[in-house]
Amino acid sequence: METDAPKASAAAIVTSLKKAGIDFVATLPDEKILELIRAVEKDPGFKHVPLCREEEGIGICAGAYLAGKRTALIMQNAGFLNSCNALTTTSMQFQIPALLLIYYAGDIGDRGFTTLGTVTEPVLQGMGIRYYILRRREEIDETLCGAQILAEDSKRPVAVLLTRSVLGVG
Amino acid sequence: MQRYDYLKAIAADAGDALAVCTGWSAREWWAVRPGDGNLKTRTLGLVSSIAAGLAVALPRRKVIAIDGDGAFLMNLCGLPTIALQNPGNLIHLLFDNEVYEASGGTATASRMADAVALARGAGYKHALWVKTPEEFRAAFVQAWQQNELTLIAVKVEPGQPKNLPPLKLDEIENKYRFMRYLEATEKRPILNPGFDSKI
Repeated sequence: METDAPKASAAAIVTSLKKAGIDFVATLPDEKILELIRAVEKDPGFKHVPLCREEEGIGICAGAYLAGKRTALIMQNAGFLNSCNALTTTSMQFQIPALLLIYYAGDIGDRGFTTLGTVTEPVLQGMGIRYYILRRREEIDETLCGAQILAEDSKRPVAVLLTRSVLGVG
Repeated sequence: MQRYDYLKAIAADAGDALAVCTGWSAREWWAVRPGDGNLKTRTLGLVSSIAAGLAVALPRRKVIAIDGDGAFLMNLCGLPTIALQNPGNLIHLLFDNEVYEASGGTATASRMADAVALARGAGYKHALWVKTPEEFRAAFVQAWQQNELTLIAVKVEPGQPKNLPPLKLDEIENKYRFMRYLEATEKRPILNPGFDSKI
Protein backbone atom coordinates (compact mmCIF):
# COMPACT_ATOMS: atom_id res chain seq x y z
CA MET A 1 0.00 0.00 0.00
CA GLU A 2 1.33 3.45 -0.90
CA THR A 3 2.60 5.34 2.15
CA ASP A 4 0.66 8.52 1.41
CA ALA A 5 -2.53 6.59 0.66
CA PRO A 6 -4.52 7.96 3.65
CA LYS A 7 -3.71 11.53 2.62
CA ALA A 8 -4.55 10.87 -1.03
CA SER A 9 -7.87 9.31 -0.05
CA ALA A 10 -8.68 12.15 2.32
CA ALA A 11 -7.91 14.68 -0.42
CA ALA A 12 -10.12 12.84 -2.89
CA ILE A 13 -13.01 12.70 -0.41
CA VAL A 14 -12.67 16.40 0.45
CA THR A 15 -12.61 17.33 -3.25
CA SER A 16 -15.79 15.35 -3.87
CA LEU A 17 -17.56 16.74 -0.82
CA LYS A 18 -16.90 20.25 -2.11
CA LYS A 19 -18.03 19.31 -5.58
CA ALA A 20 -21.22 17.95 -4.02
CA GLY A 21 -21.79 21.35 -2.42
CA ILE A 22 -21.04 20.32 1.17
CA ASP A 23 -19.96 23.35 3.21
CA PHE A 24 -20.66 22.31 6.81
CA VAL A 25 -19.09 19.20 8.37
CA ALA A 26 -19.45 17.80 11.89
CA THR A 27 -16.99 15.11 12.94
CA LEU A 28 -15.99 12.70 15.65
CA PRO A 29 -12.76 10.78 15.05
CA ASP A 30 -11.81 7.19 14.63
CA GLU A 31 -8.13 6.48 14.04
CA LYS A 32 -8.97 5.38 10.49
CA ILE A 33 -10.59 8.70 9.53
CA LEU A 34 -7.97 10.92 11.13
CA GLU A 35 -6.48 12.12 7.84
CA LEU A 36 -9.95 12.83 6.50
CA ILE A 37 -10.88 14.93 9.53
CA ARG A 38 -7.55 16.76 9.36
CA ALA A 39 -8.20 17.54 5.70
CA VAL A 40 -11.70 18.84 6.54
CA GLU A 41 -10.31 20.96 9.37
CA LYS A 42 -7.65 22.49 7.12
CA ASP A 43 -9.99 23.34 4.25
CA PRO A 44 -11.51 26.84 4.44
CA GLY A 45 -14.37 25.61 2.23
CA PHE A 46 -15.95 23.90 5.24
CA LYS A 47 -17.30 25.06 8.55
CA HIS A 48 -15.96 22.26 10.75
CA VAL A 49 -17.72 21.41 14.01
CA PRO A 50 -15.93 18.82 16.17
CA LEU A 51 -18.42 16.90 18.31
CA CYS A 52 -18.45 15.31 21.75
CA ARG A 53 -21.10 12.76 20.78
CA GLU A 54 -22.46 12.04 17.34
CA GLU A 55 -26.16 12.48 18.19
CA GLU A 56 -25.73 16.18 18.90
CA GLY A 57 -24.12 16.44 15.47
CA ILE A 58 -27.42 15.44 13.90
CA GLY A 59 -29.00 18.40 15.71
CA ILE A 60 -26.24 20.82 14.76
CA CYS A 61 -26.35 19.72 11.12
CA ALA A 62 -30.16 19.98 11.12
CA GLY A 63 -29.97 23.57 12.36
CA ALA A 64 -27.32 24.41 9.78
CA TYR A 65 -29.42 22.82 7.01
CA LEU A 66 -32.41 24.96 7.97
CA ALA A 67 -30.15 27.98 7.50
CA GLY A 68 -29.10 26.87 4.01
CA LYS A 69 -25.96 24.84 4.65
CA ARG A 70 -25.24 21.50 3.02
CA THR A 71 -24.09 19.23 5.76
CA ALA A 72 -22.10 16.06 6.24
CA LEU A 73 -21.34 14.09 9.38
CA ILE A 74 -18.11 12.07 9.56
CA MET A 75 -18.01 9.37 12.24
CA GLN A 76 -17.43 5.72 13.03
CA ASN A 77 -20.31 3.23 12.89
CA ALA A 78 -20.49 3.27 16.71
CA GLY A 79 -21.33 6.94 16.30
CA PHE A 80 -24.01 6.08 13.79
CA LEU A 81 -25.57 3.82 16.43
CA ASN A 82 -25.33 6.70 18.91
CA SER A 83 -27.26 8.85 16.46
CA CYS A 84 -30.20 6.59 15.70
CA ASN A 85 -32.79 8.47 17.75
CA ALA A 86 -31.81 11.86 16.38
CA LEU A 87 -31.75 10.49 12.83
CA THR A 88 -35.26 9.13 13.38
CA THR A 89 -36.94 11.94 15.31
CA THR A 90 -35.11 14.91 13.80
CA SER A 91 -33.68 14.07 10.35
CA MET A 92 -36.39 11.72 9.13
CA GLN A 93 -39.29 13.18 11.11
CA PHE A 94 -38.65 16.68 9.72
CA GLN A 95 -37.43 15.49 6.31
CA ILE A 96 -33.95 16.93 6.65
CA PRO A 97 -31.21 15.61 4.38
CA ALA A 98 -27.92 14.51 5.92
CA LEU A 99 -24.91 12.94 4.28
CA LEU A 100 -23.43 10.42 6.71
CA LEU A 101 -19.84 9.34 6.08
CA ILE A 102 -19.42 6.34 8.34
CA TYR A 103 -16.18 4.50 8.88
CA TYR A 104 -17.11 0.82 8.62
CA ALA A 105 -15.37 -0.67 11.65
CA GLY A 106 -15.75 -4.43 11.83
CA ASP A 107 -15.97 -4.77 8.06
CA ILE A 108 -14.41 -7.80 6.39
CA GLY A 109 -10.75 -8.03 7.40
CA ASP A 110 -11.04 -5.52 10.25
CA ARG A 111 -10.20 -6.71 13.76
CA GLY A 112 -11.71 -5.59 17.04
CA PHE A 113 -15.18 -4.37 16.13
CA THR A 114 -16.84 -7.32 14.47
CA THR A 115 -19.97 -7.01 16.63
CA LEU A 116 -20.36 -3.43 15.48
CA GLY A 117 -19.73 -4.50 11.90
CA THR A 118 -22.37 -7.19 12.22
CA VAL A 119 -25.18 -4.83 13.21
CA THR A 120 -24.31 -1.80 11.06
CA GLU A 121 -26.01 -2.70 7.80
CA PRO A 122 -29.09 -4.32 9.41
CA VAL A 123 -29.63 -1.16 11.49
CA LEU A 124 -29.31 1.06 8.41
CA GLN A 125 -31.76 -1.22 6.61
CA GLY A 126 -34.14 -1.26 9.58
CA MET A 127 -34.18 2.53 9.65
CA GLY A 128 -34.76 2.73 5.92
CA ILE A 129 -31.54 4.68 5.36
CA ARG A 130 -30.11 4.06 1.90
CA TYR A 131 -26.40 3.29 2.05
CA TYR A 132 -23.48 2.64 -0.23
CA ILE A 133 -20.24 0.86 0.59
CA LEU A 134 -17.20 2.67 -0.76
CA ARG A 135 -14.19 0.40 -1.33
CA ARG A 136 -12.25 1.95 -4.22
CA ARG A 137 -10.80 5.42 -4.56
CA GLU A 138 -11.98 5.65 -8.18
CA GLU A 139 -15.58 5.45 -6.94
CA ILE A 140 -15.34 8.25 -4.36
CA ASP A 141 -16.50 11.07 -6.60
CA GLU A 142 -19.47 9.38 -8.17
CA THR A 143 -20.61 7.90 -4.87
CA LEU A 144 -20.35 11.04 -2.73
CA CYS A 145 -21.87 13.38 -5.32
CA GLY A 146 -24.61 10.84 -6.00
CA ALA A 147 -25.32 10.29 -2.32
CA GLN A 148 -25.66 14.02 -1.72
CA ILE A 149 -28.10 14.36 -4.64
CA LEU A 150 -30.07 11.48 -3.16
CA ALA A 151 -30.06 13.03 0.32
CA GLU A 152 -31.23 16.42 -0.96
CA ASP A 153 -33.80 15.06 -3.31
CA SER A 154 -35.27 12.52 -0.87
CA LYS A 155 -34.80 14.91 2.08
CA ARG A 156 -33.51 11.99 4.13
CA PRO A 157 -30.20 10.88 5.58
CA VAL A 158 -28.05 8.86 3.18
CA ALA A 159 -25.05 6.88 4.40
CA VAL A 160 -21.75 6.10 2.71
CA LEU A 161 -19.76 3.41 4.49
CA LEU A 162 -16.05 4.14 4.23
CA THR A 163 -13.93 0.99 4.27
CA ARG A 164 -10.24 0.68 5.13
CA SER A 165 -9.38 0.15 1.48
CA VAL A 166 -10.98 3.37 0.26
CA LEU A 167 -9.43 5.29 3.14
CA GLY A 168 -6.04 3.85 2.26
CA VAL A 169 -5.43 2.73 5.83
CA GLY A 170 -3.94 -0.61 6.88
CA MET B 1 -44.01 31.47 38.65
CA GLN B 2 -44.24 29.27 35.60
CA ARG B 3 -42.21 29.25 32.39
CA TYR B 4 -44.97 31.22 30.66
CA ASP B 5 -44.49 34.17 33.03
CA TYR B 6 -40.84 34.37 32.04
CA LEU B 7 -41.41 33.90 28.32
CA LYS B 8 -43.98 36.68 28.42
CA ALA B 9 -41.38 38.96 30.03
CA ILE B 10 -38.97 38.73 27.07
CA ALA B 11 -41.38 38.35 24.13
CA ALA B 12 -41.28 42.03 23.22
CA ASP B 13 -37.47 42.05 23.34
CA ALA B 14 -37.05 39.03 21.08
CA GLY B 15 -37.43 41.01 17.85
CA ASP B 16 -36.83 38.85 14.79
CA ALA B 17 -34.72 36.33 16.71
CA LEU B 18 -35.13 32.72 15.68
CA ALA B 19 -36.54 30.66 18.52
CA VAL B 20 -36.13 26.91 18.90
CA CYS B 21 -38.48 25.27 21.41
CA THR B 22 -38.87 21.88 23.02
CA GLY B 23 -41.72 20.18 24.87
CA TRP B 24 -44.57 22.24 26.23
CA SER B 25 -42.72 25.53 25.85
CA ALA B 26 -43.61 25.74 22.15
CA ARG B 27 -47.28 26.45 22.79
CA GLU B 28 -46.37 29.14 25.30
CA TRP B 29 -43.75 30.79 23.09
CA TRP B 30 -46.06 30.86 20.06
CA ALA B 31 -48.71 32.47 22.27
CA VAL B 32 -46.38 35.29 23.35
CA ARG B 33 -44.34 35.66 20.13
CA PRO B 34 -46.25 34.15 17.20
CA GLY B 35 -44.54 33.84 13.83
CA ASP B 36 -42.64 31.70 11.39
CA GLY B 37 -39.29 32.35 13.08
CA ASN B 38 -40.27 29.74 15.67
CA LEU B 39 -39.38 26.07 15.42
CA LYS B 40 -40.64 23.23 17.58
CA THR B 41 -38.21 20.32 17.85
CA ARG B 42 -38.99 16.69 18.54
CA THR B 43 -35.86 14.91 19.81
CA LEU B 44 -35.45 15.24 23.59
CA GLY B 45 -32.18 17.04 24.20
CA LEU B 46 -31.45 18.40 20.74
CA VAL B 47 -33.07 21.82 21.08
CA SER B 48 -29.75 23.41 22.09
CA SER B 49 -27.81 21.63 19.33
CA ILE B 50 -30.31 22.58 16.62
CA ALA B 51 -30.27 26.19 17.86
CA ALA B 52 -26.46 26.11 17.87
CA GLY B 53 -26.37 24.83 14.29
CA LEU B 54 -28.58 27.76 13.27
CA ALA B 55 -26.47 30.22 15.25
CA VAL B 56 -23.20 29.00 13.74
CA ALA B 57 -24.66 29.06 10.22
CA LEU B 58 -26.23 32.52 10.69
CA PRO B 59 -23.72 34.45 12.81
CA ARG B 60 -25.47 37.79 12.34
CA ARG B 61 -28.86 36.49 13.46
CA LYS B 62 -29.99 36.12 17.07
CA VAL B 63 -31.02 32.60 18.01
CA ILE B 64 -32.84 31.62 21.20
CA ALA B 65 -32.88 28.05 22.52
CA ILE B 66 -35.80 27.43 24.87
CA ASP B 67 -34.56 24.42 26.81
CA GLY B 68 -35.91 22.37 29.71
CA ASP B 69 -34.05 20.52 32.43
CA GLY B 70 -34.84 17.03 31.10
CA ALA B 71 -33.59 17.95 27.63
CA PHE B 72 -30.63 19.88 29.02
CA LEU B 73 -29.46 16.92 31.11
CA MET B 74 -29.89 14.53 28.21
CA ASN B 75 -27.55 16.58 26.02
CA LEU B 76 -24.80 17.59 28.45
CA CYS B 77 -22.19 16.52 25.91
CA GLY B 78 -23.64 19.12 23.56
CA LEU B 79 -22.57 21.95 25.89
CA PRO B 80 -18.79 21.78 25.30
CA THR B 81 -19.46 21.44 21.57
CA ILE B 82 -21.48 24.67 21.67
CA ALA B 83 -18.92 26.39 23.90
CA LEU B 84 -16.14 25.43 21.49
CA GLN B 85 -18.02 27.12 18.63
CA ASN B 86 -18.85 29.99 21.00
CA PRO B 87 -21.70 31.52 19.01
CA GLY B 88 -22.21 34.95 20.54
CA ASN B 89 -25.58 35.21 18.85
CA LEU B 90 -27.00 32.23 20.78
CA ILE B 91 -29.03 32.88 23.93
CA HIS B 92 -29.66 29.60 25.72
CA LEU B 93 -32.67 29.78 28.06
CA LEU B 94 -33.16 27.00 30.57
CA PHE B 95 -36.48 26.56 32.38
CA ASP B 96 -35.80 24.15 35.19
CA ASN B 97 -39.00 22.73 36.70
CA GLU B 98 -37.20 19.61 37.99
CA VAL B 99 -39.57 17.25 36.16
CA TYR B 100 -40.04 15.61 32.78
CA GLU B 101 -43.14 17.70 32.28
CA ALA B 102 -44.12 16.63 28.77
CA SER B 103 -43.94 12.96 29.70
CA GLY B 104 -45.94 12.93 32.90
CA GLY B 105 -44.05 14.79 35.61
CA THR B 106 -41.45 12.32 36.85
CA ALA B 107 -38.53 14.00 38.64
CA THR B 108 -35.33 14.79 36.74
CA ALA B 109 -31.90 14.91 38.41
CA SER B 110 -31.82 18.71 38.18
CA ARG B 111 -32.46 19.14 41.92
CA MET B 112 -28.88 17.96 42.37
CA ALA B 113 -27.27 19.12 39.14
CA ASP B 114 -26.53 22.84 38.92
CA ALA B 115 -27.14 23.76 35.27
CA VAL B 116 -25.22 27.03 35.51
CA ALA B 117 -22.17 25.26 36.94
CA LEU B 118 -22.46 22.65 34.19
CA ALA B 119 -22.60 25.30 31.45
CA ARG B 120 -19.70 27.24 32.93
CA GLY B 121 -17.70 24.06 33.32
CA ALA B 122 -18.40 23.25 29.68
CA GLY B 123 -16.94 26.59 28.67
CA TYR B 124 -19.94 28.88 28.25
CA LYS B 125 -18.75 32.46 28.42
CA HIS B 126 -21.69 33.48 30.61
CA ALA B 127 -24.12 31.41 32.66
CA LEU B 128 -26.35 32.67 35.43
CA TRP B 129 -29.36 31.85 37.58
CA VAL B 130 -32.12 34.43 37.80
CA LYS B 131 -35.06 34.48 40.18
CA THR B 132 -37.69 36.87 38.85
CA PRO B 133 -39.13 37.77 35.44
CA GLU B 134 -37.51 41.21 35.80
CA GLU B 135 -34.06 39.68 36.37
CA PHE B 136 -34.72 37.28 33.53
CA ARG B 137 -35.58 40.09 31.14
CA ALA B 138 -32.55 42.14 32.21
CA ALA B 139 -30.23 39.15 31.66
CA PHE B 140 -31.82 38.46 28.27
CA VAL B 141 -31.38 42.05 27.11
CA GLN B 142 -27.79 42.06 28.34
CA ALA B 143 -26.98 38.80 26.55
CA TRP B 144 -28.51 40.23 23.39
CA GLN B 145 -26.53 43.45 23.59
CA GLN B 146 -23.16 42.03 24.55
CA ASN B 147 -23.51 39.34 21.88
CA GLU B 148 -21.69 36.63 23.84
CA LEU B 149 -22.76 33.04 24.43
CA THR B 150 -25.00 33.01 27.50
CA LEU B 151 -27.07 30.50 29.44
CA ILE B 152 -29.87 32.06 31.50
CA ALA B 153 -31.38 29.54 33.89
CA VAL B 154 -34.41 29.88 36.13
CA LYS B 155 -36.27 27.54 38.47
CA VAL B 156 -39.97 27.45 37.58
CA GLU B 157 -43.14 25.72 38.75
CA PRO B 158 -44.34 23.01 36.36
CA GLY B 159 -47.46 23.66 34.32
CA GLN B 160 -48.82 26.22 31.92
CA PRO B 161 -51.91 28.45 31.67
CA LYS B 162 -55.00 26.53 30.59
CA ASN B 163 -56.27 29.09 28.09
CA LEU B 164 -53.31 29.07 25.68
CA PRO B 165 -54.25 28.79 22.01
CA PRO B 166 -53.54 25.30 20.65
CA LEU B 167 -50.53 25.00 18.37
CA LYS B 168 -52.14 24.10 15.04
CA LEU B 169 -48.99 23.42 13.09
CA ASP B 170 -47.82 20.27 11.40
CA GLU B 171 -44.10 19.93 12.06
CA ILE B 172 -43.13 19.57 8.40
CA GLU B 173 -45.18 22.69 7.73
CA ASN B 174 -43.33 24.34 10.61
CA LYS B 175 -40.01 23.46 8.98
CA TYR B 176 -40.97 24.82 5.57
CA ARG B 177 -42.46 28.00 6.97
CA PHE B 178 -39.36 28.51 9.10
CA MET B 179 -37.08 28.09 6.07
CA ARG B 180 -39.21 30.35 3.88
CA TYR B 181 -39.20 32.94 6.66
CA LEU B 182 -35.40 32.74 6.73
CA GLU B 183 -35.27 33.16 2.95
CA ALA B 184 -37.47 36.25 3.19
CA THR B 185 -35.56 37.82 6.06
CA GLU B 186 -32.04 36.80 5.00
CA LYS B 187 -32.89 37.73 1.38
CA ARG B 188 -31.28 34.69 -0.23
CA PRO B 189 -32.42 31.24 -1.37
CA ILE B 190 -32.14 28.59 1.33
CA LEU B 191 -34.39 25.67 0.44
CA ASN B 192 -32.78 23.65 -2.33
CA PRO B 193 -35.51 22.02 -4.39
CA GLY B 194 -33.20 19.10 -5.19
CA PHE B 195 -33.93 18.57 -8.85
CA ASP B 196 -32.55 22.02 -9.65
CA SER B 197 -29.31 21.29 -7.87
CA LYS B 198 -26.23 22.32 -9.82
CA ILE B 199 -24.15 19.33 -8.72
